[in-house]
Amino acid sequence: MKRRVRRGLCRVLVALLVGMQLDISGAAPDSGLLDFTTAERRSILQHGPWPLRPARDPGNAVAGRTDAIALGQRLFFDPRLSADGTLSCASCHRLDAAFADGQPRSIGREVLDRNAPSLWNAVHERWYGWDGAADSLWSQSMRPILDAREMAASAAHVRRAIAGDAELACRYRRAFGHPPARDDDETALVHAAKAIGAFVGTLVSGRTPFDRFRDALARGDARAASVYPIEAQRGLRLFVGRSRCNLCHVGPMFSNGEFADTGLPFFVRPGVVDPGRHGGIAALQASGYNLLSRWSDEARDGAAATKTRHVDPQHRNFGEFKVPSLRNVADTAPYMHDGQLATLDDVVRHYSELNLDRLHADGLQILVPLKLSDPERADLVAFLRTLSDPTARAWRPPATAAPCRGAPRNR
Amino acid sequence: MKLARALALALACSAADAPALAAAGPACGADLRGATRGLAESARYAVAFAPQGKPITVGRHFSLELAVCPRAQAAMPSTIKVDADMPLHQHGMNYRATVKALGAGRYRADGLLFHMPGRWRFIFDLAVDGTTERLTREVDVE
Repeated sequence: MKRRVRRGLCRVLVALLVGMQLDISGAAPDSGLLDFTTAERRSILQHGPWPLRPARDPGNAVAGRTDAIALGQRLFFDPRLSADGTLSCASCHRLDAAFADGQPRSIGREVLDRNAPSLWNAVHERWYGWDGAADSLWSQSMRPILDAREMAASAAHVRRAIAGDAELACRYRRAFGHPPARDDDETALVHAAKAIGAFVGTLVSGRTPFDRFRDALARGDARAASVYPIEAQRGLRLFVGRSRCNLCHVGPMFSNGEFADTGLPFFVRPGVVDPGRHGGIAALQASGYNLLSRWSDEARDGAAATKTRHVDPQHRNFGEFKVPSLRNVADTAPYMHDGQLATLDDVVRHYSELNLDRLHADGLQILVPLKLSDPERADLVAFLRTLSDPTARAWRPPATAAPCRGAPRNR
Repeated sequence: MKLARALALALACSAADAPALAAAGPACGADLRGATRGLAESARYAVAFAPQGKPITVGRHFSLELAVCPRAQAAMPSTIKVDADMPLHQHGMNYRATVKALGAGRYRADGLLFHMPGRWRFIFDLAVDGTTERLTREVDVE
């Protein structure tokens, strides 16, 4: 009996000591959960819930429609849309690379200036391209198709590619109610782009280990929250705390959808700089396919075009690039607008050892060298790795149903 | 969560924005619709403002409904401009707001977007008789 009591007391003592040790290291006693402050919890909860409410490609009347999505899916993977039949959208937005391509700079007909961004959750973004030169998925889809260094096609080429294939022509007719007209190449191009936009708009990744942690925290479920790796929790604490990553990487998308100068060199090659957002706004405003153009299916004064109507070019936009979403970031190496950083650790190291001379801030420095220790960098990377949806890696395009019936009526 | 965001728009009163006020100020725009109502004041004017729809969220466009209230014998402004900046960061918004007059001293400002959490400052420029009267009010956005 005495021995049993003594054993019990020993267990209590051991438990107390373990608890004290955890408490000292910043974790709540008897759990694998850090003692997040109220402010930290509030910041963490702002990164969810996920998924967001469904969104649609703006100015795209066929977004969300099954027939358009099916057509867009085929066009996305079809190299016949390129001038020489060798490149498709999927050449630079690969299934096995989280819809990026794993290259520092993408390779079209030549090595391009920028890194291919992932298409996951693109429908929830405001601007497209590292410079935000497009304001919808459909207008963005046209850029690589027409760019002489990428797919190098023309509106006429796209129309012919669709009209010349019975399956594509049939699906086009289903999606838009009429075949591609021989005397209207531009409409065929815009429709093809809207179908691709409709397909890309379906690419929404699922929940992540972080989302489960965040939701457990929201409902006060410490047991479920403590499943989240402790190193990721420490990294998260840095993310919303001392590192202030969440100044720009805000909300459920981990991005404010805007643009920033992060102190990286933006030379394309010696003597040539990438103007970034500065050039992007100019291109957007000059585009005949933006949300203020006659090709948009929504009113110029409607809510969808608010961003395009109000965007304000400023000198500081020079050298700014889009703040990317961090969802699935571990699967989209290399990083930054031109892929100059190979790994997530390189990215964290960049912010840790930031070169202030490269920044153009006039007021309080938003970005300051974080001076993270090696373990802190590892924690931040561990956190970033929990932002990936493991099922997204295995995603494959849904098999399209039976072949579309009916021969094309107009070639 | 909505409540938290509403609370996040805690109006931070700046000493520079708090001159001696006429008694009419607090009532200005008291009937504005919106989750929260703020007030910018000078000796001659008060501008009440309320974000429309949801409370201000970082990274999302929002609109303001405004009520402009001249104090004492001040004239109603001919136009009003609305802008915002982050004084500590010394940067403004990436968007230029447009203002539409609704009549009877009411206006609607569209196209605003705060792209960072922190302290923002609304700037209301009232054009009166060839001069501009600037009223400001700081807000904290999480």
